[in-house]
Amino acid sequence: MFRFIVRRLLVTVPMVLVVISLTWVLIRLAPGNFYEGERKLPAAIEKNIRAKYGLDQPVYVQYGRVMGNILRLDFGNSLRYENETVNEILRRTVPVSAAIGVSAYLLALLVGITMGTVAALKQNSKLDYVAMGLSMLGISVPNFVLGPILVLVFSLSLYWLPPARWGGFPSWNLLLPVLTLSAVYMAYIARLTRAGMLEVLRSDYIRTARAKGLTERQVVTRHALRGGLLPVVSFTGPALAILITGTVVVERIFAMPGLGNYFINANLNRDEPLILGIVAFASILVLVFNLLVDIAYGVIDPRIRY
Amino acid sequence: MTETKTTRLLAFVIAAALLAAGCAPRDHRGQFFGQIEPPQGQVLRYISGSEPETLDPQMSTGQPEARVAIALYEGLVEYHPKTMEAIPGVAERWTMNGDASELVFFLRRNAKFSNGDPITARDFVYGFRRGLRPALASRVAYLAYDIKYAEAFNNGSAFVRDPQTGRFLLASEAPQTSPDGSQTVAAAAAPPDEDALFKAELGKKGEDAAADTPFHKYIHAPERLVVPADAKDREKALKDAPKLAALVAGKEFVPVKEEDIGVEAVDDYTLRLTLRQPAPYFLGLLPHQFFRAIHEKTVERFGVNWTKPGNIVSSGTHMLLEHKPYNQVVVVKNPQYWDAAAVRLEKIVFYPLEDNTTMMNLYKAGDVDATYNHTVPASWLKSGVRNVKDYMDAPENVSEFYAINTTKPPMNDVRVRKAFNMAVDKAALADYRVVVKPNYTLVPTIFLKYPRPKGDPFDPERAKQLLAEAGFKGADGKFDPKKFPSSEVELNYNTNESNRQIAEFIQAQWKQNLGVTVALRNTEWKTFLPMRSRLEYKGFARSGWVGDYMDPYTYLSLYIVKEGGANGTGWWDPKYNKMLEDANRETDELKRFEMLAKAEEYLLEYQPVLTLVIPATSWMKKPYVKGMYPNPGTLHAWKFVYIEYDRAKWDQGTPDMTTDTLAD
Repeated sequence: MFRFIVRRLLVTVPMVLVVISLTWVLIRLAPGNFYEGERKLPAAIEKNIRAKYGLDQPVYVQYGRVMGNILRLDFGNSLRYENETVNEILRRTVPVSAAIGVSAYLLALLVGITMGTVAALKQNSKLDYVAMGLSMLGISVPNFVLGPILVLVFSLSLYWLPPARWGGFPSWNLLLPVLTLSAVYMAYIARLTRAGMLEVLRSDYIRTARAKGLTERQVVTRHALRGGLLPVVSFTGPALAILITGTVVVERIFAMPGLGNYFINANLNRDEPLILGIVAFASILVLVFNLLVDIAYGVIDPRIRY
Repeated sequence: MTETKTTRLLAFVIAAALLAAGCAPRDHRGQFFGQIEPPQGQVLRYISGSEPETLDPQMSTGQPEARVAIALYEGLVEYHPKTMEAIPGVAERWTMNGDASELVFFLRRNAKFSNGDPITARDFVYGFRRGLRPALASRVAYLAYDIKYAEAFNNGSAFVRDPQTGRFLLASEAPQTSPDGSQTVAAAAAPPDEDALFKAELGKKGEDAAADTPFHKYIHAPERLVVPADAKDREKALKDAPKLAALVAGKEFVPVKEEDIGVEAVDDYTLRLTLRQPAPYFLGLLPHQFFRAIHEKTVERFGVNWTKPGNIVSSGTHMLLEHKPYNQVVVVKNPQYWDAAAVRLEKIVFYPLEDNTTMMNLYKAGDVDATYNHTVPASWLKSGVRNVKDYMDAPENVSEFYAINTTKPPMNDVRVRKAFNMAVDKAALADYRVVVKPNYTLVPTIFLKYPRPKGDPFDPERAKQLLAEAGFKGADGKFDPKKFPSSEVELNYNTNESNRQIAEFIQAQWKQNLGVTVALRNTEWKTFLPMRSRLEYKGFARSGWVGDYMDPYTYLSLYIVKEGGANGTGWWDPKYNKMLEDANRETDELKRFEMLAKAEEYLLEYQPVLTLVIPATSWMKKPYVKGMYPNPGTLHAWKFVYIEYDRAKWDQGTPDMTTDTLAD
């Protein structure tokens, strides 16, 4: 187990470097630059800017600088927000995105697993149809539709909840974005749980458990859920990584100062250090979460050993 | 809860949501839009646009930054809240010499920074010089290029000195490049007597109110010749100009220093600006954030971090309390401000937001008190938001147009360009876009004293005739759309919903009026910009300009190009440049406007642009926010803004823009 973890962590480093290099090449291939605007800048000003940011140096020097920054985990200052370092931006925005994302995911787990389990236990009942109908709705209604509808009802018609803006954690401002964000995950988890549970409930070891005379409740919580939730666990890794790096649509609709807004704008602004910093952060997160998922598998499923 | 109850509840929620969605934009709650409860205390919550790039006034380019900068920094002059013309700021009065090439500002003696330090002429000298430093690499440094030697310092030039006599060569001695590319040597034989010239200049321009100084003598002497200071760049520049190379051979090159720029603190409270050429519009530029007072010690001590809370020292009506990017910028009243008694807003909270619907939601819910311009989505305008009493609308200091690539056929033929212009019904376009006005010229209508040229009217018949004359005709001599190479013309725009709608409208107009189908092509903004400036497009490219100041010249100067084209059209004309230069030399305002209008007429004759519409400012402000006006640039001097608690005094519609009083 220990050797497995160390090996996986060691692989992470070259993988992140490859991802960053590819991203850097893509940024350089994209037309445009961070400083040009509606009016073409005088040549002298363009020259001053290029000199200030080292863009007049040979490409390999610039690439070397980027790689050096990555290895020191210091991405330098943003090009657009010049008095902020990329690390400062990450430190400030990740907690915001994580607060929304993790809350949404916890809510999704709670509701999704309950719905999925109930649906599986009462397969083909009305309850099953309602739960699965709702989850189909949750998957099909995109969050840029659900968000505004929630705002219209709860903020602009009933005036109960603020329509947008960050109000700290926890606060009422979080309720609508968390609901909006969790809907699709809730639905997805409900379906995964139902499918997993249905499969497990038919397996031999459940029959054994029942034969031993355990109550239905013990059978479900102690034996069935463990196996039935494996698909949810593997879904959780990448889902959490995505949620923590920010979800653009929800952050925009609800004006949340998270990482998602920065990510989109960094690309639109050709803000190279910021793009690289966020990509590095996101790829490290995905790799680490996938590792955690694999470890969790070993813990939950007795059939898997490393 | 039983299943039927759940289903019923669900159905109810969905129905309620749809009902709310259906009527929300039309839900006026009477005369105003949404909640109208004034906030506690003199606090303004304002949506200021996207996240400010920086709070350093000299590094920012846009209006979102300007809105915060106006609170934090004061300039020599400030924007008039209604007209946006320059009104006294740190300077209590100023004089301009006869040909508008020299301005003297007399500063008030009680102006202070937020730490109590006095604001003197030296602070402005420092600010202007710093903004132009090549190492700072400010994108807006060009705004100050009218100041003598400012451009030379910013672009790293050097004066040329004769090592024997110690005399600097003059710009007038350099061989002039004429439009056909040939070089002529002008007046190189006898070097002029600088002192005599200076006296002549003084005699012409009358007495300044400020003392004459050695610096003044130097800066008023005829302009010196400059060449690139960097040896490699100089070599490159001189290679194509053999006569200039011969002239400067064996001479010394003295880099232009920041002390050489035409900005002088005559004494602590007198500032003199010397321009390289007459520029009557220059005063109107000075309220721009680039020229506002900054605190030297703070800037030099903290470098790029000087605007962070805790470090920053400000000069404006307010000072920084908190800056949380993508969340809020909070400023509070500056007790050291010289006119603090007149400042009523104790606090301003700027919300940087990007999504229009979110902004309007916050406004409607009463969480913000005012928004910036173009915040009302078009669909909301059509459904009645236009008619509520807190909707603000006024013509804007903005012009929307399409640039035409005049270097590629068939658009290199002026008749074709004119035909495409005449085939667009701009009045219909304005109707379609709801709150804009049709525009037949480059300069928008807001300059009341400017005698705008007429521009070509909507005339499809004449358009077809012109196209036939250009050779695209059938056997009957009439225009034949099949003969027109429509694959060589595209309509390019940067990806954006309203750009697309306009492009589709124009496309339909051409189809309907000429029978020509032009392809639409949308490109992401940062990809679009170099494509347009390098003329890598066919036909038309969306364009627009927000005026930097209140003068037609801010639009007309876009097409002054000296070395063959970087304005996105490929069109340039020395005669046009000359017409503008001559106009700026004219001291009589009305005469100058006439001359500028002639130049615009000349430009429109060549039709390098297809002008479309003048946008309207289109924003919202709660009735209890007073002293905030729909001015042409949607930039507000916060000094005049306040919250009114007496309902009887609330604004019932657009506030009165005609009176000249600043507060009401």
